[in-house]
Amino acid sequence: MSIFHRFVSGIRDAAYIWCQEMKQAVKDEGVLIFFIIVPIIYPLLYSWIYNNEVVHEVPVVVVDDSHSGLSRELVRKLDASADVKILCHAADLDEARSLVSRQLAKGIYYIPSDFATRLNRMEQATLSVYCDMSLMLAYKAIYQTAVNVTQYMGAEMQKKLSGKYTVREEQIQARPLDFQDVPIFNPQGGYGTFVIPAVLMLIFQQTLVLGIGLGAGTARENSPTGDLIPVHPAYSGIYRIVLGKALCYGMIYAVMGAYLTLVVPRIFSFVTMVKGMDLLWLMTPYLLACVFFGMTVSCLVRYRENVMLLMVFISLPLLFMVGISWPQSAIPGVWQGISWLFPSTFGARAFVRMNTMGATLGDVTNELRALWIQAAFYFGTACLVYGHQLRVTRRHTVSSNL
Amino acid sequence: MSLREVRIMIKNPIYGFCMVVFPLIAMIFFTSLMDDGLPQDMPVGVVDLDNTTTSRSLIRRLDGFQSSKVVAHYPSVAEARRAIQENQIYAFLYIPKGTTDDLLSSRQPKISYYYNLASIMSGSLLMKDLKTISTLGSAGVGQATMRAKGFTQEQIMAFLQPIRVDLHQVGNPWTNYNSYLSTVFVPGIMMLFIFMISAYSLGMELKFDSGKKWLEMADNRMVIAILGKFLPQTLIWLALIFFYEFYVFSILGFPHHGVAMLVVLALLEVFAAQGFGIFAFGLMPSLRMSLSICSLWAVLSLSMAGSAFPVMGMDGALQSLSWLFPLRHYYMVYQICVFNGFPLLEAWFHFVAMIGFTLLPWFVIGKIKNAMLTYVYIP
Repeated sequence: MSIFHRFVSGIRDAAYIWCQEMKQAVKDEGVLIFFIIVPIIYPLLYSWIYNNEVVHEVPVVVVDDSHSGLSRELVRKLDASADVKILCHAADLDEARSLVSRQLAKGIYYIPSDFATRLNRMEQATLSVYCDMSLMLAYKAIYQTAVNVTQYMGAEMQKKLSGKYTVREEQIQARPLDFQDVPIFNPQGGYGTFVIPAVLMLIFQQTLVLGIGLGAGTARENSPTGDLIPVHPAYSGIYRIVLGKALCYGMIYAVMGAYLTLVVPRIFSFVTMVKGMDLLWLMTPYLLACVFFGMTVSCLVRYRENVMLLMVFISLPLLFMVGISWPQSAIPGVWQGISWLFPSTFGARAFVRMNTMGATLGDVTNELRALWIQAAFYFGTACLVYGHQLRVTRRHTVSSNL
Repeated sequence: MSLREVRIMIKNPIYGFCMVVFPLIAMIFFTSLMDDGLPQDMPVGVVDLDNTTTSRSLIRRLDGFQSSKVVAHYPSVAEARRAIQENQIYAFLYIPKGTTDDLLSSRQPKISYYYNLASIMSGSLLMKDLKTISTLGSAGVGQATMRAKGFTQEQIMAFLQPIRVDLHQVGNPWTNYNSYLSTVFVPGIMMLFIFMISAYSLGMELKFDSGKKWLEMADNRMVIAILGKFLPQTLIWLALIFFYEFYVFSILGFPHHGVAMLVVLALLEVFAAQGFGIFAFGLMPSLRMSLSICSLWAVLSLSMAGSAFPVMGMDGALQSLSWLFPLRHYYMVYQICVFNGFPLLEAWFHFVAMIGFTLLPWFVIGKIKNAMLTYVYIP
């Protein structure tokens, strides 16, 4: 048989396998759920959860033992801030504590009785802040508001005391070295903008791997001998099987990938700074790495349900290993090494930097290189495991023919 | 019947993995990942165009902070920003040329710090360091002038900072992220496995068509069949969760108020999660559908628990929906009674909700029986 002939028959077989996989993806509910429904619904759900981005108006109780003009001014200013809302005044700390224990307030501002006296005597006064530490965002809002308001009031008092003549002199007196606080890439500190891009990339990988695994499980259960590869003349070579299947998954996830990376952030107006062509250069190796990774994993499971038990729980550790929630520099070396096994680590890192931080392709070269290496490596392993499966199938066919 | 279940569990390695190995891996992952409590020595860059002893001392002091480590100097802001985009640094301090001159001649120079908030935790920690440094730079000047004029230290402090904030971080004075995240995410993952294994073990009866035999052993009394089947699982789950509690609260020393509440919490967690798993199977008596529901629900519940992004910040509809997630109630009971040490009465709603989840299977028990007797497994 000429090379050309083999090539054509290979393409024809791959196309047949592609067709079979496509049919299965639509017919099998399990695969359908993970290939189509979850990637469509989940990003919307997560975006909805985090769409409010920041926590405003955290309820706080005030215990004002000072009962003075200055303490009332302080409370008014605290209440006027964006992040904190003064829920009510309590008579003493015990009453305030009981409000916190009933989850009505998240913290207590306590103004001691000598607050105004000390300030008027030109001594340092104290504002005590008690925070419920179970919510870090609430703690940050309560504490930072207290710091900002007391600093502002302090600066005003300084100006009065310093006896300077012009406004400019007062400004220099209060702050000889001025500074500017510049949060970049997510200036409002939004929770959604920060976590959603990584979650999107993770949903991409996890649903793809789960879908492939479930499909493989079904194939095994449909076969009388429990084999992954059906007995059919088209399923005669490793490459046509691997390529045919990869083509099917790749086509579905090209669409899903476009939806996840282009449509979802725009629906909820999250930051998107990535350019179309750059995105293509990132998503191509990511898609390939995920597909071949999924195909490798799918050969390792015997029952279709096992892949679910295996893959679902690692979603959260994978999200942490991306290095968004917990800084990459603080992840222990062992876990860094393990995280290199998963395409999502590099895919999400590169996507966050390009999407949220406006990085160019040149800035994420390391991640892209890693993704291409993973794609090649997992292509190799997918061929190996499918080769093994093919031999198993042939052995079964031969023994059943005997 | 329990013996039969034990035999099944020994034969199928998936039980061993999902009930012991994977939960322990998750536990070790989270506790070792955040072993430091707070990320330390995060890379910070500097753009020092002034290059005087004053600016260098500022940088040295920044380097001395716990969270920050000055790793590189850049010749311009553009290059420092690029370094952030390349993930080499998370923040940088910019000191323009002539800062010291202007400072000495009272012309109010301006320094700036830039930090990447695309990663909120590292960004806000570094912001704290950079802001402290900048404020100190300002205060240092005022302090030196006042000391020269002969004021006492107390007078200086009262002038520079008339109102001091006295912070009490109740229950977690170290701002330890480990005790704050691990205590929700690890039980969340354990709950995920309880959901899935409960549905899985029922589904496997259907798949291998052994449901009829199982019911015969209990004389077709469904309650006894269920209790018998789940007793060994419950014991293993309880052992697992007690071990987890012992590890984090006793060995790692996370804050808690009394062992009694920990026992109650463990019981609530296991029963509520098993109840939900059985209910999910009863709702859709098919292995793949119930497993899908359990896994999707469990993954969502990690967000809906509201430990990272608080539920009070979500939309109103989501605040009500959060009641449907056992992990949300677990988190509230944990937070109110174990972490803060308030009486159980304050968490009565969540306590009752978890008991409600435990009783959920009661609604679908007939359906499960029906499924076991009549359904044929379709792959």
